[in-house]
Amino acid sequence: MANLLARAFSGLNQVRRGLSTVFGHSFKEPITKEYPQIVPAITTHFRGRLALTVNPETGDHLCISCRQCERVCPDKCIEITSAKSAETGKLELIDFRIDHGLCMFCGLCTEVCPTYCIINTNDFELSEYSREALIYDLKKLTLSQDESAFYFEKKEMPLPKPKPAKAAAPAAAKPAAPAAAAAPKAEEAKAEAPKADAAKADAPKADAPKEEAPKADAAPAKEEAKSEVKPEAKPEEKPEEKKD
Amino acid sequence: MISNGNEIGKLTLLSIVWLTIVFVAVWMVTWAVGILLPMILSNSLGEKALLINEILCFLTPVLSILVFIPINAMFMVLIERRALALFTVRKGPNIVGPDGYLQTAADAVKLLFKEDITPTGADAFMFTLAPIVFFAPSIFGAVPLLAAVTNNHGLFQVLNLPTGIFYVLAAASIPVVALVMAGWSSNNKYSLVGGLRSAAQAISYEIPLVLSIITICVLAGTLDLVKITQQQAGGILNWNILGGGALSGIDKFLAGTVTGQPVGNILSTCYPFSGLSYLAVGALIISTIIAFWLYLTGACAEINRIPFDLPEAESELVSGYNTEYSGIKFAIFFLAEFTNLFVVSSIATVMFLGGGDNPIPVWILDSIAPLKQAIALLNDSFLVQTLHLVNPETLFSTLWVILKVYLLVFFAILIRGTLPRFRIDQLMDFGWKRLIPLSLIVFIVVVFARGLVICHG
Repeated sequence: MANLLARAFSGLNQVRRGLSTVFGHSFKEPITKEYPQIVPAITTHFRGRLALTVNPETGDHLCISCRQCERVCPDKCIEITSAKSAETGKLELIDFRIDHGLCMFCGLCTEVCPTYCIINTNDFELSEYSREALIYDLKKLTLSQDESAFYFEKKEMPLPKPKPAKAAAPAAAKPAAPAAAAAPKAEEAKAEAPKADAAKADAPKADAPKEEAPKADAAPAKEEAKSEVKPEAKPEEKPEEKKD
Repeated sequence: MISNGNEIGKLTLLSIVWLTIVFVAVWMVTWAVGILLPMILSNSLGEKALLINEILCFLTPVLSILVFIPINAMFMVLIERRALALFTVRKGPNIVGPDGYLQTAADAVKLLFKEDITPTGADAFMFTLAPIVFFAPSIFGAVPLLAAVTNNHGLFQVLNLPTGIFYVLAAASIPVVALVMAGWSSNNKYSLVGGLRSAAQAISYEIPLVLSIITICVLAGTLDLVKITQQQAGGILNWNILGGGALSGIDKFLAGTVTGQPVGNILSTCYPFSGLSYLAVGALIISTIIAFWLYLTGACAEINRIPFDLPEAESELVSGYNTEYSGIKFAIFFLAEFTNLFVVSSIATVMFLGGGDNPIPVWILDSIAPLKQAIALLNDSFLVQTLHLVNPETLFSTLWVILKVYLLVFFAILIRGTLPRFRIDQLMDFGWKRLIPLSLIVFIVVVFARGLVICHG
């Protein structure tokens, strides 16, 4: 009998403790983020939609059609079409398709890319009405100059060497300088450390001439994340946002 | 410390706005049908209006309940969602309308426009009848409560029964039949299990529920809800939850000493056996508090709320008895569930918490002069004297009833946010081996202790 009473009282006490704990929670600030109105701040290494960068300065496409990403992709969702140019003797990119319905966002392609062309953006809103719409072609994948500059700055990637060297010696068929520098590093180790080192090493010379671009991007970084929601839908708005 | 003042303020504002909407709407309808219409009719038609007025007199309470139930259920669903969100550190519905005020209205519209499906192989007649049988008792069962919660207002006296609480309890046990009907006629094994569980649960938990109510009836010496409410008037010391009037002698003694009137032998008349009587008072207070707790537990099980929501345990049975229901039939089930919660809370208010009585003892209120003047001013006003729009006695007691009932509803929501669901064998174990013996013990203690004290003397 005494045991029963003791158990009853301890049970009631536990219920009381539970009730007071739950009631105490009503004095805590809600952790809800009202998502469509408030876009979460995404970290730099978030692996979102894949995209292709261009040279933030000149606007040249950075892809050299080396097909490393196509080779390394576990899902085989990347499909590159390229042809050898008759004039330069170099591979020229014709089409680049990524099926985001197949992609599992492992990020291997971005690690293997010698020119930092293919990257994971912060865009995570990929919903479409059909599976076919998830297959992005070259036009849909390629970022604008401003967007590329933003991601180069944000991911601390070494900026590509200026093109003139390549343009001056067209027949030499030599890959661009940054590609040569970055390729072995990317292959020997996929870790972040060499990348970061390269970024530091390249930063002084690469950033010196183009100080304005990163600075302009640094301020509206948050707005950028917001407008990233639909980058391809409103590419015209981007530059405007950045100017203010 | 309180970092959530904003959300709490919003919830409070929401409750006040919605409660104002609910009760002003109900009172306007009641007043229009019960007072204004007969007044106009008897002025224009004279004696011919007598019959119509007689009919209107019976129609008024029913009409007021019919207006009240849907609006109230909408408010209760909204407040439940918002309060649960508060307890679980979320925000809850706040998009539709200003700060989510219209969320449940939108939900209701959606439910009413959905297709009404009867599954293949279902017993169509029973399938249609079940929601009606489930919903009807919450209307006709709640009628006797009206007079009690409005301080015996003239409009609602017609439906006050001498056997009030007995009738209410009888009506409250009908929905179980509807649940079994719904479960059986759905042609779905989950629904059937849900319906049977609800039958088993209701049979088990109705006994402690009714025994705790009987305990209070024994203390009060009557089944009439209005009389039970009137007995408890005059402050928290007279309420049934604190000894069922065993403290009223002490209340009188205190009132006498404070106001300076001769105390005389109040104490010795109320507690004739001195030491033994005071012991009995203690036993009565403990017993009635336990009875109140028993009532809350039993009522929670009776209306299938968490932690006793086994009939609709969605992790085990898809949604229990209402799995196959959709559209307006589902809406009726939903409506009735929340109305039952309200009815159960108002029974608790009337039986244990003094109905429309304010918790502050009368002898304290009487000493505040401005309050008296304000009430006198209200009494003489145009609204009261000519239009009979406001009845001061009813007004204040109704406000107290609203406060108490919704506090109990809030407590039920808190329980829902805290406790996990019982397992079916634990449920039976708890009901038969713990609650029923406890309620019997309480009953017997009260029966013997009552003889030693003059309650509500």
